[in-house]
Amino acid sequence: MRKLSAAMRKEFLLLIRDKIGLAILFVMPMVLIFVMTLIQDTAFRTLNEEGIPLLVVNEDQDSLGFRIENGLKTSDLVAYHNEINGKKATRDELYEAVKKGKFLIGIVIPKGTTKTIQEEVKRLVDESLGEDVSNVQVTSTEIEMVIDPIASKSFVTSVTSQLREFISTVKTRIMFETFNAQIAEFIPDDLEVKQSEYSNKQAVTYKEVYASEISGELKPNAVQHNIPAWTIFAMFFIVLPLVSSIMKEKEEGSVFRFHTIPASYFLQINAKLIVFIVICLIQFCLMLLIGLVFLPMLGLPVLQLGNSYIGILIMALGCAMAATGFGVLVGSLAATLQQGAVLGSLLILVFSAIGGIWVPAYVMPSIMRTISELSPLKWAMDGFYGLFLRGEGFVDILPHFFKLALFFAVCLAIAVRVQSKKRIG
Amino acid sequence: MIELINVSKKYVDAEKPAVNELNLSINDKEIFGLLGPNGAGKTTTISMLCGLVQPTSGSISLNGLNFKDNLTELKQLIGVVPQDIALYPTLTGKENLEFYGAMYGVPKVILANRITSWLKKFEMEKSANKRVSSYSGGMKRRINLIAGILHQPEILFLDEPTVGVDVQSRSDIMHHLKALNTDGMTIIYSSHHMEEAEHFCSDVAIINTGEIIARGNPVELIQNQSDCRNLEEVFLKLTKPNFHSK
Repeated sequence: MRKLSAAMRKEFLLLIRDKIGLAILFVMPMVLIFVMTLIQDTAFRTLNEEGIPLLVVNEDQDSLGFRIENGLKTSDLVAYHNEINGKKATRDELYEAVKKGKFLIGIVIPKGTTKTIQEEVKRLVDESLGEDVSNVQVTSTEIEMVIDPIASKSFVTSVTSQLREFISTVKTRIMFETFNAQIAEFIPDDLEVKQSEYSNKQAVTYKEVYASEISGELKPNAVQHNIPAWTIFAMFFIVLPLVSSIMKEKEEGSVFRFHTIPASYFLQINAKLIVFIVICLIQFCLMLLIGLVFLPMLGLPVLQLGNSYIGILIMALGCAMAATGFGVLVGSLAATLQQGAVLGSLLILVFSAIGGIWVPAYVMPSIMRTISELSPLKWAMDGFYGLFLRGEGFVDILPHFFKLALFFAVCLAIAVRVQSKKRIG
Repeated sequence: MIELINVSKKYVDAEKPAVNELNLSINDKEIFGLLGPNGAGKTTTISMLCGLVQPTSGSISLNGLNFKDNLTELKQLIGVVPQDIALYPTLTGKENLEFYGAMYGVPKVILANRITSWLKKFEMEKSANKRVSSYSGGMKRRINLIAGILHQPEILFLDEPTVGVDVQSRSDIMHHLKALNTDGMTIIYSSHHMEEAEHFCSDVAIINTGEIIARGNPVELIQNQSDCRNLEEVFLKLTKPNFHSK
């Protein structure tokens, strides 16, 4: 026990005197969380507050065109424009402006769109009244949505579907009014029939509810998504100082002396593991503190921790174990500090990419989703998302914890095997 | 007593064995010098004697114990002072010694007394709380040596203990090593420094291409080679075929 505590004291002293190592452990992850959360939150908030810059060219100049324009003017989703340099924009100018990124989306309402709708309704009414409409030709028109190619596909899909829904409502209303007008022609003038109006209140509406067991209102947001993701990423980056610690001991000759000491290599590794796991847990607490205290000071939502504090502790421990175990493995495999640093960082980047830190795993292709299940960062993310977003409890996250614990055990077993093989020479 | 019987070591991918059928016995309380040119097999021999490298064949025993069955006991019995400074540069000299002493299981109070005593002997009390990275080469060597003897080993392995240090530090180190030997410690010493070995060792073996080519007291070895005036000339004559004494 005294040997272990002496080895832990040594590890602690080495760590606190390594300024760069400390920066990697604490400052960098905090900066990362601040930057990533603020960027994501403010980016969407700016779009939400100021609206998506949208340019409309109304060639129709009739009821459909005007109504779409009026609707977009009052919309919170978009920032409506119809002019460029103080002059009404033309179709070509619209294409050019969107191409240059001045507007994210452009809408062109072609000439005669309203007339086309009216003719179509008239034809339908005539047809239903038994008139011969075979000679009536109705041309089709397309409302064009011009999109800036740099806009991400998911973002474009989300915005255009909302625009499509709006335009479709306007179109339906015009059709309804035209239909009313057509019917009115067949009603005798002395008969007073109240014309029905297209109601704004729809019979079927939609309500979005998050399937979470967290009490109170849960609103997934940049804080709720970013804190767990980047905390896990930062915790795994403990691999770098850990590899550095192992490699320095090899390069500075301490390992040579260890092998002549009546204390096992396992004891030295255990001391490292305990110190670095504790550091990981401190790191984790600091990250949570950022979400609970510091980000709200900047106007961001407060991080909601869910219903199980024990679950959070267990997941944090599992994540810390997996990260340190992985660090020991990389440290044992690498021949030089440089090799270890490159190998460690690359593997974490790969694990984080396939694990869904950068892009959510659920939007990945099927094969990548299968591969992502192999990443310890994914197991950790699933656990933390379960706790923070789904309101899961201690029992629900145990499978994720056991996967991380198993990963830790496998890493250590390989590291000890590699180390003993190297020693035997 | 240290005994090597028919010990060979051939590294994987090496064409020739680093040590070939080595037979050697070293008495207790000797200062034994293992001398040889670079690549002769000195480091491999010492590494096998410290239990760091397993021999390909043959047997090694220290005080009748072998590494295979008595690894922990033998590690407690030996002290190793490597040629490279095996210290933590960001820890102070004292912190390094406290760590290594604790690793040998020296009780806390005894360890503190021994550290104080050795720092005093080497006139390093004032710099004990400074980081090793700020030490001179001589100071690092002294702390490197103390780290290997804090647990008072019966056998001490020294690999080039005075390389890169000034004359005063060297004299200081050698003086204290002699004192340790007088107190009963067996010292196995490896060096290129022939003059130092000649005066320090009571018994030497010259090793070349993995085999011992001469063995004996330095004075006897010099006397046996009529055209040599010192151990360096004996060494050169035996390891360099076209050597001619001045």
